[in-house]
Amino acid sequence: MIEIVPGAKNVEEVLEHDPVFKLVGMRLAHPAVLGVVLFLIVVAIVLLGPASESRFIYTDF
Amino acid sequence: MPGAGLKLLGALGAAALVFFALLAALDLAIGAWFPGFERLSENFSAPYLERAVRDLAKAPARSEIVVIGDSVLWGYKLPATENVTTQLARGGLAVRNLSFEGGSPANTYALLRLLLANGVRPRAVLFNVNQKEFNPSDSAYQKIHPSLDALAGNLLSRDERAQLLPTVDRTSIEARLDGWISAHWRFYALRSDIREALFNQVDAAHALDDAVQIVSGAKARFEAEHRPTPDRFEGTYDLSPLDDKNVSVIFLRKSVALLARERIPAVAMLTPTNHVLLHDFIDTPQYGKNLEFVRTLLERGGVRVVDLDRTFGSGQFIDNDHLTAAGNRHLAEILEPELAR
Repeated sequence: MIEIVPGAKNVEEVLEHDPVFKLVGMRLAHPAVLGVVLFLIVVAIVLLGPASESRFIYTDF
Repeated sequence: MPGAGLKLLGALGAAALVFFALLAALDLAIGAWFPGFERLSENFSAPYLERAVRDLAKAPARSEIVVIGDSVLWGYKLPATENVTTQLARGGLAVRNLSFEGGSPANTYALLRLLLANGVRPRAVLFNVNQKEFNPSDSAYQKIHPSLDALAGNLLSRDERAQLLPTVDRTSIEARLDGWISAHWRFYALRSDIREALFNQVDAAHALDDAVQIVSGAKARFEAEHRPTPDRFEGTYDLSPLDDKNVSVIFLRKSVALLARERIPAVAMLTPTNHVLLHDFIDTPQYGKNLEFVRTLLERGGVRVVDLDRTFGSGQFIDNDHLTAAGNRHLAEILEPELAR
């Protein structure tokens, strides 16, 4: 949500004060970092996902 | 504005490049360092089994004893370090455990076909024959484990396939997508094995739940309240006379013929059975006749039979047929001289 900045004259001034814009504008938001973050998210989803691929019903009891 | 668009595309391209480079690096690392388990994982994948078979094929011919069987030989409810094959390996025998939960004569046959098709030449094969798996209502009676089926399914003849029931639908969009991703991404294909290596459970949720239940004491209470009682096993054993219409008999006969044709020495263990627990259901003349039928079938085909049906005391069982850690040690002591011959 973009905040209404009192006294701001145009969109650029509003964005300069917006926390999301600041985050995206940081040096950390380099494309390589985005690639690493995406990689970590995908790996975490695969690792922490439920064992839905448990495909064999074993009924010992 | 076109400049900004190009810049954005360039940034996305760079991110994608890093993303795929990391995935490729992870796959290389998994290929190089992912450990082999002492036995197949609880929920083993087809690529993991394929790797285990490939490793066996690389071993010098006639150097290893391959163990094929069900949860009894797999070591149900026990850590891998306490099951019978690990005990045999500690005693100096070169054994490789390819048993898994949900084994049956049909699974034994399919796994033998897979091993032989990949050039595995074992020194001997040890397999177990469990009377409960001749029961048409047993979960593995007519079903091949899906990961084994994925590798060995096309090795079976049309007649053999006709005896079996499908376990998974491989034609759905979800299954095809899963197959495609698995074919191109090793980490994804091995996810069930990796999860077990990391969490010692089928997934993180089960591992967390397990830890909470142990800490709270709920697990101990549950196990105390759910000790195996005879009524749980009513219907587990079918005492109809065995004949060649029984699917497990058909595949047992095929396994015996295959081993003889390939000149592979084989030892069949008639699975230890808890007669104290199951007395009301199985201590009848027909049970003995069925056991004799199986023994004759095996011996006529040249398979050495170790009859352990009544060898173990009730205290060495977890339930109807699965052995405790002490039971597994005792089993290893019995099997060791048979396999060392």
